[in-house]
Amino acid sequence: MRQLNVTIKLAWILAALFMMPQAAAAATAGPVEIVCIQCHAKLPGKYGEPVKLWQGSIHAENGIACNSCHGGDPKDAANAMSPARGFLGVPKEGAIPAFCGRCHVGVLKDYLTSLHGKALGRGGPTCVTCHGNHNVVKASLDLINEKSCSRCHSFKQAEKIKAAMHETEKMILTIETRTAGFKQQGIDTDRLEKGLFAVRNSFHSLFHTVDTVKVGAESARIQAELKKLENTLNGIDEQLRKRKLIGAGAVAAALLAALLFYLLRKTFERTEP
Amino acid sequence: MVNDDRRKFLAICLGGLTASAVVAVGYPVYRYLAPLQKENAAGKVVIPEQELPAGGAKFFEYAGSTAVMVRKQGGDLVALSAVCTHLGCIVQWEKEKQDFLCPCHAGRFTPEGTVISGPPPKPLAKLPFVVANGVITVG
Amino acid sequence: MGLFKIILDWLDRRIGVREIVAKELTGYLLPRNINVWYSMGSILLFIFGLQVVTGILLLIHYVPDADKAFKSVTFIMNDVPFGWLIRMCHAVGSNMMVLILLFHMLSVLFMGSYKKPRELNWLSGFILFNLIMGISLTGYLLPWSQLSFWATSVATNSAGSIPVVGPFLVEFLRGSKLVGPATLGRFFALHVAVLPLAIAGLIGAHLFFLKRTGISTPPFGLKESGNQWQGDIYRYEDHPGGIPFFPNYALQDATSIALYLAFFLAVVFFDPYLFFTRESFVAANPFQTPAHIKPEWYFLANYQTLKIFPNELIGLSLQGAAMTFLALLPFIDRGSERHPLKRPLFMAAAMGGIILWIGLSIWGHYS
Repeated sequence: MRQLNVTIKLAWILAALFMMPQAAAAATAGPVEIVCIQCHAKLPGKYGEPVKLWQGSIHAENGIACNSCHGGDPKDAANAMSPARGFLGVPKEGAIPAFCGRCHVGVLKDYLTSLHGKALGRGGPTCVTCHGNHNVVKASLDLINEKSCSRCHSFKQAEKIKAAMHETEKMILTIETRTAGFKQQGIDTDRLEKGLFAVRNSFHSLFHTVDTVKVGAESARIQAELKKLENTLNGIDEQLRKRKLIGAGAVAAALLAALLFYLLRKTFERTEP
Repeated sequence: MVNDDRRKFLAICLGGLTASAVVAVGYPVYRYLAPLQKENAAGKVVIPEQELPAGGAKFFEYAGSTAVMVRKQGGDLVALSAVCTHLGCIVQWEKEKQDFLCPCHAGRFTPEGTVISGPPPKPLAKLPFVVANGVITVG
Repeated sequence: MGLFKIILDWLDRRIGVREIVAKELTGYLLPRNINVWYSMGSILLFIFGLQVVTGILLLIHYVPDADKAFKSVTFIMNDVPFGWLIRMCHAVGSNMMVLILLFHMLSVLFMGSYKKPRELNWLSGFILFNLIMGISLTGYLLPWSQLSFWATSVATNSAGSIPVVGPFLVEFLRGSKLVGPATLGRFFALHVAVLPLAIAGLIGAHLFFLKRTGISTPPFGLKESGNQWQGDIYRYEDHPGGIPFFPNYALQDATSIALYLAFFLAVVFFDPYLFFTRESFVAANPFQTPAHIKPEWYFLANYQTLKIFPNELIGLSLQGAAMTFLALLPFIDRGSERHPLKRPLFMAAAMGGIILWIGLSIWGHYS
């Protein structure tokens, strides 16, 4: 009888423990969202859309959030949109290039010298015309396409520039893929990544002058820079090939050793009682 | 006996293999443990002092990447790596503002390389140099 | 040969080496039907030795500081001559250790060598198994990559489901509320000092039990494959008429080790990144959790078990029960039969368990 009582008590304790809610699950939760997202994510229509769009952007990937562009206070909900905290609101069309150009300095300079820049406010494109405003993704040649450019004029001019940039862009993408491959093998690709980023940026920034002649001329210089990177990559390839060769030798030696040990053992087996 | 001869032959083969294995393992371990030689001899860069007026900067190639020499308004010289510590773009010298501005994401540095504003996480790396007889030698 | 004999005589007159050689080497007889699975232990010993040597070499350049760890590993991989080789040997070796250990455990299970009078051998081996898991887990954190950081977060988090002491346990394991410099400090001490010493000590015990009890006879090709142990007094299980350990079985051990080396070197030189992911080469970022963090292959079954049960405590308890069962196996399975084909109940349970473990691991890989 006493044993049954004890068993029942034990069963109750176990049941209680099993039903205890999960503890410490929050230990690995990430940092709290900024107040902008906390509010706007729940808002309907055009007030809530930017959040989802931004979440897929390269800005979000790199920790650039709402206040980085629009100003304001990301931690204080009451004063989040106060001009006193630097809130800029939605920029007017004419102010867009300067808005993005606060960070993208080089691009702004090239844009303002271009025909696009000179047409600002008179039907010309701003940054968001081609890049979008919240869903800004990593720039590639695909941004120059029939659908986008023919909104305002014939695609012929744009096609020429795209063709001029195509070769260089291919080189850049190949270098990027090879570098990523080496990074996966523990090779220190820091210098290569930085070098490629610098060249890629100056190349893409160049486009904003929308000057086919200029783009063509500069392409040669840029390709020379890329060739230097390619040489470094080829050097690494060569090094890795040499290692594999040594590896093949080492494996062969180990197999030979196994064979010799085996044969040596066999000579003793004949004298085994 | 045939067996004895076979045994001797195999033992000698194994002995040879072991000896080469010892070398094959010993050499990398020795190289791994040996003190590293810093590559100092690599291309020092020479710049005549007069190429740097006060408030001016000169960009040059050093150790495989771009570097910059600055003469501050007070006359002091600073040698820095011109590679922005954010993502690697080459910083530009702004003569009017007497600072470095990175065209990629507007990182700003003082003439000494300290970060003023923007995304760069670290200051520009300083480079060693000596001045003698009106000539600056970097490296 | 003359010099060798002179030295041998000199030593023999002082410590009786010839007697030791006769007892432990040439006179140490093993069962005639001994098979290659009995080499697994020697291979493990070799792997352990290699891990210690490569580990010590890595210690020379590795810095156990959260700000410097990742950079020091990059330095070893890129700037130290042959650093890449030492590091990859160590990383691949740790995975090999677990793989060969599983083979060793399986062969002991299938040949019934865990049964009396070898319970102590099984227990010391089981503890070794846990210590190896522990040394793998602690070593994993040291490169301080995204994978290191977040895999450790997930692994230490699971202790939180234990009632009452859970959250305290997690914080104690980590040395702080979240994985950080404090975690690196204690994991480093464990990995480099505490666990290697414990493992070495237990290997000593394991080998002592083996030598003291006498090596088991494989149950294959025997008329009577059951346990012959009387259980009344201590008796060394000798094998009269067996084959000498030296040079015969020692050469078999050498062959097995050489074959293992060929396999190991093939992986090191041709696909060492088999066990690495993209996140292994990105420095740890406590503010950015990567999308798909998974533990190493040998923890996938544990990981998937925790994912299956909505209550983490149930998942943890089930695993605890399974491990306890395995640890106490010699006391649960008291039958004297050792031949696998004559133990249908054991085979069914073992095959079921193995298939379950493999299935959970594969599921864990794809989930």
